[in-house]
Amino acid sequence: MRNKFTEMFENLLNSNPFKNYFKKNRLRPPGAVDEEMFMELCIRCARCIEVCPYDSIRRADLYEKLQIGTPYVFPDDKACYLCMRCMKVCPTGALNPRLTEGQDVRMGLAVINQDTCLNFKYYKDEMEGVSMSGTAQLCSTCYNVCPYTDSAIVLEKFILPVITDKCTGCGICAEKCPSTPKKSIVIYPEGMPIEEKAGFYGRKHRVQAQDEKKPEGALHGEELLNQKQKIDGSDAKPDFEYNMELYETKDEWQNQ
Amino acid sequence: MKIKTFRRIAQTATLIAIFLIPLLNVFELYFIKGTFYSMDIGDAAIADPLAVFQSMLASGTINPYMIGSLIIPIALMLLLGRVWCSWFCPYYFIAEMMEKLRKLMRMKPFKPQYTDSYPHKQAKYRYLFLLVGLLVMSVIGVPILNLISAPGIISSQALVLVKFGYVTFELVFVAVLVFLELFYYRWWCRLFCPTGTFLSFFRMKRGMTVRKVADECSNCLTCVRTCPMMINPMTMGESGHCNNCGDCVDACPDNRKKDTLKFTFR
Repeated sequence: MRNKFTEMFENLLNSNPFKNYFKKNRLRPPGAVDEEMFMELCIRCARCIEVCPYDSIRRADLYEKLQIGTPYVFPDDKACYLCMRCMKVCPTGALNPRLTEGQDVRMGLAVINQDTCLNFKYYKDEMEGVSMSGTAQLCSTCYNVCPYTDSAIVLEKFILPVITDKCTGCGICAEKCPSTPKKSIVIYPEGMPIEEKAGFYGRKHRVQAQDEKKPEGALHGEELLNQKQKIDGSDAKPDFEYNMELYETKDEWQNQ
Repeated sequence: MKIKTFRRIAQTATLIAIFLIPLLNVFELYFIKGTFYSMDIGDAAIADPLAVFQSMLASGTINPYMIGSLIIPIALMLLLGRVWCSWFCPYYFIAEMMEKLRKLMRMKPFKPQYTDSYPHKQAKYRYLFLLVGLLVMSVIGVPILNLISAPGIISSQALVLVKFGYVTFELVFVAVLVFLELFYYRWWCRLFCPTGTFLSFFRMKRGMTVRKVADECSNCLTCVRTCPMMINPMTMGESGHCNNCGDCVDACPDNRKKDTLKFTFR
């Protein structure tokens, strides 16, 4: 009975469709209470937008459903520089005014894509020994621009950038990341589930959700065992050549 | 000097301030900041009581920041009556200008006929609209009445225009309201505006109200005809409909000889 539509209906009933509308690289300003509460408290007065000296905070547009007028930070475009001005002006406490230290801010979490990050690529090339060709590049920009270097981001083995749980989610690394065509750092907003960090149960859930399809004519049990026992590799020879000397027979080896 | 002159000065100053405040903020002068949903003058926080009430209702919490931003507007309401609407609201100013435009285009007078039951009929619309709005808002859990607050939209659009150089779709809503203002006399302010309705709950009889001071007047009913909110200023100055615009005080012919219809504190 469960299908796409019943699931959609369930989601609609279990969660307010006008709230919890997370997207990667779209954060609330620093000090924001959790998303559901934020949507209730924010009166769209745009004071935080007005007061932001870097123009980092933008106003949500009509296509954001009922969130029109609420403040957002788009870190891949213009990051938050943690000047801590916006939370003091909020009239309803949607941004917590007691927050004064930049390092206490938790807007989100940066996640590095290890397939495209230049440093990770360099490390891989180095291990394989191809960096002599000169194509690999060393970058470390995220490490250099981070306002809390060595606590929010550390260099593992002096080369691989790793983000710790002290990450404020300000997104300066995502703004400055030079890798093309897509940036290697994505900021997940606070409250959005991160698949890679979901842990055992998250992974299990995902595996079960995938449809298990077995190829047609697959063998089972006794038949499979018999089939496997018939495989005989005694006289088989590899179809490639070894790059070392091989001895065809046992005697040859013993004569040595 | 006519009260209307002062009122026009205040309205024009507000209209200029809408663009000036974001401009000052762009140049990093953060003395006055905010839109007409909520504003900071120095460190004094002012917020639209309806907006704050909505977020109280939706979140179920009351925190000191909300209370702090409510003190000044409610004190002003109790002291001076609903002056926000007639003296400062940019939408009211535009609506008045539309009335003038109608006169310029020589269209027929379109003000509805005043009868004794008319104010009560109006009140029904206003309170019902606010009640339904608050109900829908609390079901959805998002302060949606802010999305139809005309002064808030106008000032936040001005902010977006000055700071980022574009306007968003919400301006169309205000444009529709303004266009309909040509055909229905002050319909938004009189019958629907939730912000004004909510403000009128904080009306105090001891504050500034229009009253008939003299015992007798010539009973010409000029004040009734001029009143933009369609009430009888001689008897209903204390009601929530009156927004202390002072048009009736200006119009009263008896005022020239003897104080008849005046703003009074009691």
